[in-house]
Amino acid sequence: MKLRRSAKAELQVKTEKARSKGVSQWNIAWRRFKKNKAALVGALIIGFVMFLAAFDALIAPFPPNDLPGFRAIPSETRVPPSFKYLFGTDFVGHDVFSQVVYGARSALFVGFGAAAIAMSLAILVGLIAGYYGGLVDNILMRFTEIFLVIPFLLILLVFLKVITALAPSGAGGLSMVTLIIGLFSWAPNARIIRGEVLRVKESEFIEASKSLGASKRRIIFRHIFPNVLHIIIVLTTLMIATAILVEAAVSFLGFGDPSSITWGQQLQKANEAVKEAWWEGVFPGLFITLLVLGFSLLGNGLRDALDPRLRE
Amino acid sequence: MTKELLEIENLKTYFYTWAGIVKAVDGVSLKVREGETLGLVGESGSGKSVTALSILQIVPRPGKIIGGSISYRGENLLEKTEAEMQSVRGKEIAYVFQDPATSLNPVFTIASQLTEVIRRHQNCTKEEALKKTVELLKLVEIPDPEIKMYNYPHQLSGGMKQRIAVARALSCQPNLLLADEPTTALDVTIQAQILDLLKSLKQQLKMAMILITHDMGVVAGVADRITVLYAGRVCESASSKTIFRNPLHPYTRALLEAVPSLVLRREKLKVIPGAIPNLIEPPVGCRFNPRCEFAKQGLCTAELPELAELEPDHYVACVRAREIEKEAPFGGLR
Repeated sequence: MKLRRSAKAELQVKTEKARSKGVSQWNIAWRRFKKNKAALVGALIIGFVMFLAAFDALIAPFPPNDLPGFRAIPSETRVPPSFKYLFGTDFVGHDVFSQVVYGARSALFVGFGAAAIAMSLAILVGLIAGYYGGLVDNILMRFTEIFLVIPFLLILLVFLKVITALAPSGAGGLSMVTLIIGLFSWAPNARIIRGEVLRVKESEFIEASKSLGASKRRIIFRHIFPNVLHIIIVLTTLMIATAILVEAAVSFLGFGDPSSITWGQQLQKANEAVKEAWWEGVFPGLFITLLVLGFSLLGNGLRDALDPRLRE
Repeated sequence: MTKELLEIENLKTYFYTWAGIVKAVDGVSLKVREGETLGLVGESGSGKSVTALSILQIVPRPGKIIGGSISYRGENLLEKTEAEMQSVRGKEIAYVFQDPATSLNPVFTIASQLTEVIRRHQNCTKEEALKKTVELLKLVEIPDPEIKMYNYPHQLSGGMKQRIAVARALSCQPNLLLADEPTTALDVTIQAQILDLLKSLKQQLKMAMILITHDMGVVAGVADRITVLYAGRVCESASSKTIFRNPLHPYTRALLEAVPSLVLRREKLKVIPGAIPNLIEPPVGCRFNPRCEFAKQGLCTAELPELAELEPDHYVACVRAREIEKEAPFGGLR
């Protein structure tokens, strides 16, 4: 009896606390996100790759660009997976496992870097076009459409070729690839953000804040931005996945930065020897797939969790 | 007599749409005295809301104020710059919107939305603003304000949200409150509560109010004076008593006759035939003439009737008002 009463009292304290705290949109989203198994798997995959990238020097058995297979006597180039070389070695004697581990950092760098650039541009263009409307909107959207109609991969390859031709001394390397991916992939996101801004802009609470003396800047950043943030988060996650995939494609086609260790570069080198040495290509390919899948799952999970239209 | 707080003269707000120019407000004149409640009545599309939005100059695009004057305490608001208007909005004149479900920002707590307005217009620290927030919530009769203020809008009921919206509008003690159908989105019992609240707040804070509604029942209990709008023009303007006892404009009469009555056991409620006219090309002459049961060809279709003071403080825009009064005296509501 006594025990029961104390449990009741405890419950009362708990509800009191919860009440005074207030359930924000974040609380609701987190609750919904936790229930989504696929999204949690996605987060786990990303966490795993981040772990590889953070401790790459400790995890990889050989330093970057080292050629243990070439140094060994007799030489161990293109040997299949074994305990010494977990994922085998490639034709010049790189340890594929070490290369894959170092590639994690490149993949994340490209993914986050390109997404940061692309999303900054998309947010800026989307907010301004959506809020101001009229002529400003018209000009910005026509500009955006120019980026939407040109074949993305083709223009990317042309730009990379031109830049490497103009500045042959490896101008920027992986950063340059990242920058160019970012600069050419903001357009679809800008359109989606603009659409969402148009929707939020018509809300009565925007009119209400206007009627209470808020300035334009305040309305855009304090009232519209937080209300489109959910869509921005989802788009950013999916943008990261796309950027990683695009870098892999570019590198595979031989337009990437040959001096960096990326999964795409590994795929390109493995290309000639798929039949004799499957491990050269399969493992980096697997990691690309895994990481992109991780971000896609996370993105979809976030979309479901953050969509204000889905309320339990 | 108390002096005028707000005086609108010949206000014209047009919407420039693809289909043509919509004359939503076309020469509206009205006044609000200090501490007085003005009921602004009319059908949907008669220009009530647009008039109120014009006062604060927050008419949405493609609407534009193209003429007239809005003088507030002797200053013409239409001559003010955008920056000057921003300090009038919320501080001098505040607005309460129709739907409390959408007029609060869903991603911020009540406290943060109220302190935002307080700190925008008054020089005070965050703690002082929070203290004021608690007082405001007490004023609008929110229970446990210290707890409720950390809630998000979606955690509160509709009536509660409207109280919050009222509190937000009152946060800087405005002299004039524009309440745009503040009870339309609420159910009847809550409507009564909000109306009582507005009434008592008005007395406590001694502010003036423009109450916009299409519900004659709502204005009857709250308004001191009533202005009836039709198709962007003022039909009749008088004290609440006069409007209900002796309406002179056929439109006002028709509106009153459409209200269900407990005493007159009519079989059917009277309705006004037709709908509000197209405001791109309004009817020639009196705008109400196609729907008016007293309209006379040639007389009512000739020119727009001007607002005339037929009795002291009783303004009517109808050329036949006196004739109709003799011909068919108003039977009254009861």
